[in-house]
Amino acid sequence: MGREVAESCVDTLLTETVSMYCDRFYANKPELAARRIEAIGYQVGHQLSERYTMERPRFNDHLEAIKFICKDFWSEVFKKQIDNLKTNHRGTFVLQDNRFRWLSRVSLDPSSSEKETEDLSSSGESKAAQAVSMYLYFPCGIIRGALSNLGIPCAVSADISNLPACSFVVRVKA
Amino acid sequence: MIVCVAVVGHQNNPLYIQSFTEADDALKLHHIVHCSLDVIDERVNNPKKSGTTLNEAFLGLLYPTVNYKVYGYLTNTKVKFILVTTDLDVRDTDVRSFFRRFHAAYVDAVSNPFHVPGKKITSRTFAETVRDIVRSYVLN
Repeated sequence: MGREVAESCVDTLLTETVSMYCDRFYANKPELAARRIEAIGYQVGHQLSERYTMERPRFNDHLEAIKFICKDFWSEVFKKQIDNLKTNHRGTFVLQDNRFRWLSRVSLDPSSSEKETEDLSSSGESKAAQAVSMYLYFPCGIIRGALSNLGIPCAVSADISNLPACSFVVRVKA
Repeated sequence: MIVCVAVVGHQNNPLYIQSFTEADDALKLHHIVHCSLDVIDERVNNPKKSGTTLNEAFLGLLYPTVNYKVYGYLTNTKVKFILVTTDLDVRDTDVRSFFRRFHAAYVDAVSNPFHVPGKKITSRTFAETVRDIVRSYVLN
């Protein structure tokens, strides 16, 4: 069973969520907004992992769980798999998605943001980077929620040094 | 016939326990469920040489008491399903299909945004679905 929704609805919901939390609920307090959005993502990831691990046998170790996230989980949520997985074998994993679906419509032009008279390029870029980073708290929360439900407490952060590629850094808590 | 089903969380906290018979003492059934948790832990931590593979969700017959048989099922998220039945001849495939439907109902109940993970499942829909699954199992 399963009813379906147009993907544009999901995109709109995410855009509105970030906009509401950043501009209305926690205006001028981006850290609190980020934390709240990440917490929503945590609950969603928790529930999604319950659903997507239903038919599978249990995982032996952390690496298998991370590979599940990279392949099956990512293709269920984002319709593609993670393009590159790196690990230092000591609890840190980097999941790289070369074309992250939820950022595919984000404008990459820094000059479209608010202009200032001096240091135009650097302030424009950092504002754009900060704006984009708000959209990544939700997927970070989803990953963290999914992994916690599989018994792997961790911290997840996102790295957007080269859009549209996006890397998620997972640090497993010992 | 099935007398009791239970869902136990990963910290061995009860999430849902429902008995389907008025005759038996509910407390006794709770006690049986509680004891079977130990058996599950034992099975998972010591890989068995024979029978179930290490990674399978369905754990099979946990232990038979005088009147009851207890079956277990462990999900990937360390949530345990326990089934207590008084049937003497139970087919493995029937129990597996029961757990599969039960797992689907559990996933639907947990996907409820108003459900707090770790707290008891209070959804009426879940209770009705479980009752339907138990009823259709009995008819086999």
